[in-house]
Amino acid sequence: MTSRRAGSAHPGGERVPRQAPAQQGSHEAPDGRSPLWRAHNGLRAVAFLYALVWFALLVNDYARPVLGSIVLVLMAVWTAFTIHRYRTPNGRTNRLVLIDLAVAQVLFLANEFVLTEQQMQAGLPTVVTVWHGSMVTAASVQWGMLGGGVVGAVAALSNFLLRGYIDSNMWMDTVLHVGAGLLLGLASDTARTSTERLSRALRAEAATAERERLARSIHDSVLQVLAQVRKRGLQLGGESAELGRLAGEQEVALRSLMAAAPPESTEHDETDLAARIRVLGTAGVQVSVPATPVLLPAPMASDLFSVVREALDNVDRHAGDDAKAWVLLEDLGHEIVISIRDNGPGIPEGRLSAAEFQGRMGVAQSIRGRVEDRGGTATLDTAPGDGTEWEIRVPRPGDTNSIGQGTAGHRQKSPGAQ
Amino acid sequence: MTGPDISVMVVDDHPMWRNGVARDLEERGFEVGATTGDAVSALRIARTVRPDVVLMDLNLGDTSGVEATRQITQEIPGTRVLVLSASGEHGDVLEAVKAGASGYLVKSASVDELVDAVRRTAVGDAVFTAGLAGLVLGEYRRMAIAPDAGSQAPQLTDRETDVLRQVAKGLTARQIASKLVISHRTVENHVQSTLRKLQLHNRVELARYAIEHGLDEDGAFGKQ
Repeated sequence: MTSRRAGSAHPGGERVPRQAPAQQGSHEAPDGRSPLWRAHNGLRAVAFLYALVWFALLVNDYARPVLGSIVLVLMAVWTAFTIHRYRTPNGRTNRLVLIDLAVAQVLFLANEFVLTEQQMQAGLPTVVTVWHGSMVTAASVQWGMLGGGVVGAVAALSNFLLRGYIDSNMWMDTVLHVGAGLLLGLASDTARTSTERLSRALRAEAATAERERLARSIHDSVLQVLAQVRKRGLQLGGESAELGRLAGEQEVALRSLMAAAPPESTEHDETDLAARIRVLGTAGVQVSVPATPVLLPAPMASDLFSVVREALDNVDRHAGDDAKAWVLLEDLGHEIVISIRDNGPGIPEGRLSAAEFQGRMGVAQSIRGRVEDRGGTATLDTAPGDGTEWEIRVPRPGDTNSIGQGTAGHRQKSPGAQ
Repeated sequence: MTGPDISVMVVDDHPMWRNGVARDLEERGFEVGATTGDAVSALRIARTVRPDVVLMDLNLGDTSGVEATRQITQEIPGTRVLVLSASGEHGDVLEAVKAGASGYLVKSASVDELVDAVRRTAVGDAVFTAGLAGLVLGEYRRMAIAPDAGSQAPQLTDRETDVLRQVAKGLTARQIASKLVISHRTVENHVQSTLRKLQLHNRVELARYAIEHGLDEDGAFGKQ
């Protein structure tokens, strides 16, 4: 028997690490703005080709064709360079986007010296044409709605500055510049927040899995040993009893630490009640839960967990040293059912006024109060020599189709059974 | 059946544990035909030795004990699998039971409990701990409320639900029998039937999966 125990504790502890921990870095979601950057790159390339066509049509009439060619070559170089840099997340720095703005502005304003006065007045396109606008898309993808709007306004202003007059076409350009900046910026903001949310959820999931793995391993090893030491120490008495008491304190402390550390909540702020209750199992307490998580809003899960713990504490105090307890958690979909049973002596008849029972009633009222606050029922069933059994039923919040599915076969116990 | 009539095979990758269990069983008069530490040789040996009961650990080095359980119970009709695991009553225990195991015992159980469980497994009884009852009950509940389960999902009768709940709350078969005013044998039958329905459903699901994915009928599924 002794060797069996030793043998069982060991493999349990040894085997746990076999589940490989999740790969580092896999908890980061890919940047949701990447598609926007690709779109920006595409737009800039198309805008450059567009500029190339206009250049071929107009180059002979330019006031300074050589300067125009230089501007065009610089555009080509800058287009290629930024497309390359914006392709990877590391290249999308604030500094690059700022330089991008400066380059686009300089090349745009250089048209002051390229185009003739007539071309300018006739509203013919500059060498950069709509390529100028791609600085707005870069800024809005990088900085969001505010940045996009501001840079759109800057682009529109420099347009007025270059032309030196205002007409309906230019108003349209203004609306397009600022509008595109705001709209793309909004898309970028949305993409960024959803990326962040996804990353958070992935991290939470990884943390929960790790916590559960740790909890299981601690439960299978340390807690069982501490419980054993406490029990044996108390039996031996004297100095051993003191050691046993200390072990017991640590057991309780560790257990509540494992149970109370708020498991990183899921996206909807739900907690797996099954995982939390499982921690309460000891040599004397058998916990039975479904294999799948029982997800409940975190405050409700905490409340129900405390109720179970309170009921088990009560068993510890009143049911005698040899008493065993069983906890059963059932998820009926619309309703959560928890049963806590012990095989102690039960509550003797005619002891209603006894001090011990007074203590029990206090606990019973506390359990009932908490369950009823959640719209549920708590019934206590006991008979002399037949232990006590709590049955706690709580409706799952937000459930509208409360059909009596699966509940058939349960008798509703009356509190008056005692 | 008494001890000497029952042949047992122990599958566990921990040699110390494996030998300890074999010794305990032999001392009580069981015939421990073979012991092994991995699932592949477990299946091979079981085919030739044909033990009455295979004591199966779920944490094996190579393939999982769940797969070994499935193959042994499907290929060797007279052999029953009793899962003996330290992993706690979690999903893998439920999977092993769905795959065909007739019961489950924690490794911390006493020798007497082990001996009793092996005897009962050999005669075809289901060996249920309270924890396993909770898992099986949870599985039926899950199927009942799962939107995609449809009408093929097996359901518990009211009586079966009642019996399973009592097992999960730690009552013995005898206590349940007197509480529900039925015979001890009827309680056992109810428990067995909850298992059998689950295993049948699992096999149908696997077969359907195999057909949908164009796998060969005989034995190809389950090996992945």
